[in-house]
Amino acid sequence: MTILYDTQSLLERYLTKLVRNPTLLGTNLVTPVIFLILFSQLLTKFGEFIPSAPGGYLAYLTPGVIMLNAMISAPLGGVSMANDLNSGFLSKMLLTQVRRPAILLGRLVTDMLMAVAQSIITIVVALLMGVQFSSGLPGILLILLTVAFFEFALSGIFLTVGISTRKTETISALGGVLFFPLIFISSAMFPISFFPSWAQTFSNYNPVSYASEVTRNLVVGGLTFNSLVSAYVLIGIIAALTFAATLFQFRKVVS
Amino acid sequence: MEGVSFIVDEGEFFGFLGPNGAGKSTTIKVLTTLLRKTSGRVSVSGFDLDKSPGEIRKAVGVLSQETSLDVDLTGWENLHLQGRLQQMSGQVLDERIAELLKLVQLEDVAKKPAGRYSGGMRKRLDLASALINRPKLLFLDEPTTGLDTQSRVAIWEYLEGLNKKEGITIFLTTQYLEEADRLCRKLSVIDHGKLIANGTPTELKESIGGDTINLTLTDASVKPRAKEILRAVPGVIEVMDSDGGVTAYAKSAGQIIAGVITSLDGAGIRPSFLSISSPTLDDVFLRKTGRRIRADELSRRDTEPFLM
Repeated sequence: MTILYDTQSLLERYLTKLVRNPTLLGTNLVTPVIFLILFSQLLTKFGEFIPSAPGGYLAYLTPGVIMLNAMISAPLGGVSMANDLNSGFLSKMLLTQVRRPAILLGRLVTDMLMAVAQSIITIVVALLMGVQFSSGLPGILLILLTVAFFEFALSGIFLTVGISTRKTETISALGGVLFFPLIFISSAMFPISFFPSWAQTFSNYNPVSYASEVTRNLVVGGLTFNSLVSAYVLIGIIAALTFAATLFQFRKVVS
Repeated sequence: MEGVSFIVDEGEFFGFLGPNGAGKSTTIKVLTTLLRKTSGRVSVSGFDLDKSPGEIRKAVGVLSQETSLDVDLTGWENLHLQGRLQQMSGQVLDERIAELLKLVQLEDVAKKPAGRYSGGMRKRLDLASALINRPKLLFLDEPTTGLDTQSRVAIWEYLEGLNKKEGITIFLTTQYLEEADRLCRKLSVIDHGKLIANGTPTELKESIGGDTINLTLTDASVKPRAKEILRAVPGVIEVMDSDGGVTAYAKSAGQIIAGVITSLDGAGIRPSFLSISSPTLDDVFLRKTGRRIRADELSRRDTEPFLM
């Protein structure tokens, strides 16, 4: 049997746990819809100030909310790992013949699937609200791939903290601290031309901006090969760093 | 743990008896590949711990002190996951799960989440999951700590059955004298990371060389005088301090007890309680360490001066 068997076993475990916690699952699935409706309705007039945005502010906002899903899902893995460490369940798994990386892989795939599920719901709601996805189904698939990849890159931060501190409160607090500046000082929710210059500078280095731009280009059109590559390279670098940190912490627990 | 050396034979029911913090859990964690030892050599089921930890994990089952189940999963799902992580699948796994649910009498609640189980049920499910891979050697770290008497006796019966009927070698740690006495055919008594005695429960108790006379003294200041008097009584082998009084070991204690009382009375010492008993494993511990195994809630203490 292979590592895939172990990963699948653990993926099933994590997914079953999500389904058995309807409050957690529901909150995660509803949050992007709330963001989408709340911001688009409160700031309808905002579209008038964005001359380059076909489809108004809602069309501008949708890609940003999709990327936000990656940030909502990312802390789940860290919380789960901290809980398994504290309850002794991780030790119990380590006493079996399970291939060690499968414990991480199963969790990462679960959280990527969560971000994808949230994004599918976001896209369906956006379509119902009249947003046109100019790149069609292939574009939507590429959006889902991007959000999954971005989620993977962010997960490592929370897994590392979860394994090293074993405190779920720390992960929640860290999630909040990272969430607001990364989302709001980026091009995810608002065009950066409205920002003061320091915020524009921050936004230009913010990976959320890159991920949102790729998605936005897939919604409203105008995706260039260069912007796709630069976003994926940047997310790839973050993923490599956070995954290395996760492995480093995980090895300390496993060996 | 330091300088600890022992051999457990195949089919043995072996116990590690000691108080909290003696190093029992640490030993199990090292033996089951969870903790790294700093030095020494360990061989489990014929496999070297350093060279083939994977083979050891395949051959043994472990029941940790803290019950570790996924409370969101049902009893059946917990066993299924455990089986899959032990590289089992299909019909072989399904049959094994059914067999184990029957063994630990959880068939009726197999489809309920483990979070809704009582403490005793969780422990039984945890025991079943430790057995999923048909281990030849089972490690049990304080399997009945925190359980009610009924659940405790149920676990004991499963363990005796596993050892006798299925020939599974069992390595158990406990702080309960009664548990060690009833289950283990061979015992190591440990304290502060060191082995202090080895043998069968009978051998260990016989090593005391006589009966136990327990005196409870409300006035602690008379202890030294009481010990002096007891030592002078013919037949008394040894006298030791114990909680709330003095313990003396003597051959044929019944025959000398009148003398003991007369001598004490002559010195104006009146114990608030006096008992004669055959030596217990607690006496073995007391004799070697000068302390009793504190946390023991099974062997009823004659008096608890702190509660008076």
